[in-house]
Amino acid sequence: MNCQKFESVAGEFARGQMMEAELRSEAIAHTSGCATCASLLRDEELLMRGLRSLAADMSSLEASSSSEARLLNAFRQRQVVVPLPVSRTNRAIWLTAVAALFLLVFSLVAFRWRDSSNETPAQQVTAPQPVQRDETVAVDKNPEPESQKEIGPGESHKRTPRRNLSNSLAFNARAKGSRNRNSNVAANHVSSEVATDFLPLGYMNATTFQDGGQIVRVELPRARLASFGIPVNMDRFNERVKADILVSVDGTARAIRFVQEKRLE
Amino acid sequence: MTGKDRPGRQFSMKPKSDLTDSELLCLMLSGDEDAFSLLYRRRQGGIYRFALQMSGSQQVAEDVTQDVFIFLIKDGHVFDATKGSLSSFLFGVARNYVLRRFRGDQSTVPFADDEDDQPFDPMCDEPGPLDDLTRAETIENVRRAVLSLPERYREVVVLCELQELSYVETAEILGCAIGTVRSRLHRARALLLAKLKPVPESVEQSSAGVETVRCFA
Repeated sequence: MNCQKFESVAGEFARGQMMEAELRSEAIAHTSGCATCASLLRDEELLMRGLRSLAADMSSLEASSSSEARLLNAFRQRQVVVPLPVSRTNRAIWLTAVAALFLLVFSLVAFRWRDSSNETPAQQVTAPQPVQRDETVAVDKNPEPESQKEIGPGESHKRTPRRNLSNSLAFNARAKGSRNRNSNVAANHVSSEVATDFLPLGYMNATTFQDGGQIVRVELPRARLASFGIPVNMDRFNERVKADILVSVDGTARAIRFVQEKRLE
Repeated sequence: MTGKDRPGRQFSMKPKSDLTDSELLCLMLSGDEDAFSLLYRRRQGGIYRFALQMSGSQQVAEDVTQDVFIFLIKDGHVFDATKGSLSSFLFGVARNYVLRRFRGDQSTVPFADDEDDQPFDPMCDEPGPLDDLTRAETIENVRRAVLSLPERYREVVVLCELQELSYVETAEILGCAIGTVRSRLHRARALLLAKLKPVPESVEQSSAGVETVRCFA
């Protein structure tokens, strides 16, 4: 065995690892004749001893007990947490399904209600209605409570839900809302509305009424009637009056008509 | 999964302390807290010491140990018994966490890799630790010398020499060939010897290196 060969096995020799008997005896023989390799072996053995001392010195070291407590806590939390996402998912699925069902039912009801409301005006046209000059009679079709809103600062104009212009114009001359009417008949009275013609605002003329837009129900101080050339009863100066504002597609107010509820016995 | 196949039923015949690591892991993954506790107590020491010997920091060792077992709690199912022992698996995970720490926090690494060829001289004015230092001093010097090794050499020294794992286990943990482990360990021991040997004054004073005399007897 030469020094190079010895050097390659010196580590394993010093570690006391299993070696071929022949190789081992050759290594021992080599160290007896080579001072450098004998010194290398001695160093390797001392290094081995130092490493083992270090390993023995650290053998008692371990993680703190608080670490175990934390891990056990994490383990328990994991036990609790794992099923939760499943139940949450199920709950979400159920909620979604119920919401979808409600939406479907609501859509069907709305669709049927719309169909029935399209049929009723034709029936209502023949019904005798009190008609005044410059006024058209309209029965309130909207079953919902009016959600009202201020239009501008300083004024207490209140809006009702918007309706299509074409439908609203058609409602001028005919009664609306057979369902409400039925219920009102049961209450031994019928509420109706009397409305003026649309009065143009600004430079709008009557032909542009057909351009489309929406009608917005508002409430105005009665005093505002004067600005449209309508006589105002000063005794009821502070009262409010309902009005429909025709709003064009670009959002500007085009025309206004005043509406008055009329109770019929 | 039928009741017959459930791990708790499968291993209920043996006391838990007699179960193998893999069996305990199986129980643990089915929610058995005792199995987890037993597995932790069985393996945490080795993992903690490995992390401590690799990093030289108790805080890092604590954190790494905790991270390893949290990983086991969350992703223990990825362990494949056909690829090696659970112990090797845990050491492999610990190694990844330690290396991640080194990448993220350079202050944890006591010595940079490029210093590996510089002689480690813990006490220039004292005799060499391999000769006549006290045991405690020797241990401290060896510990510092190990920590000063580059990562690839340090980990084989820690696993093979300090954790006393076999080359096969070390190769499993490092994901390399046994021959690579052997050669790295050989190189690591040479580096350790160089670091622990006292530097002769004559060599220190002269800029020329020592010419190695090798006999070819």
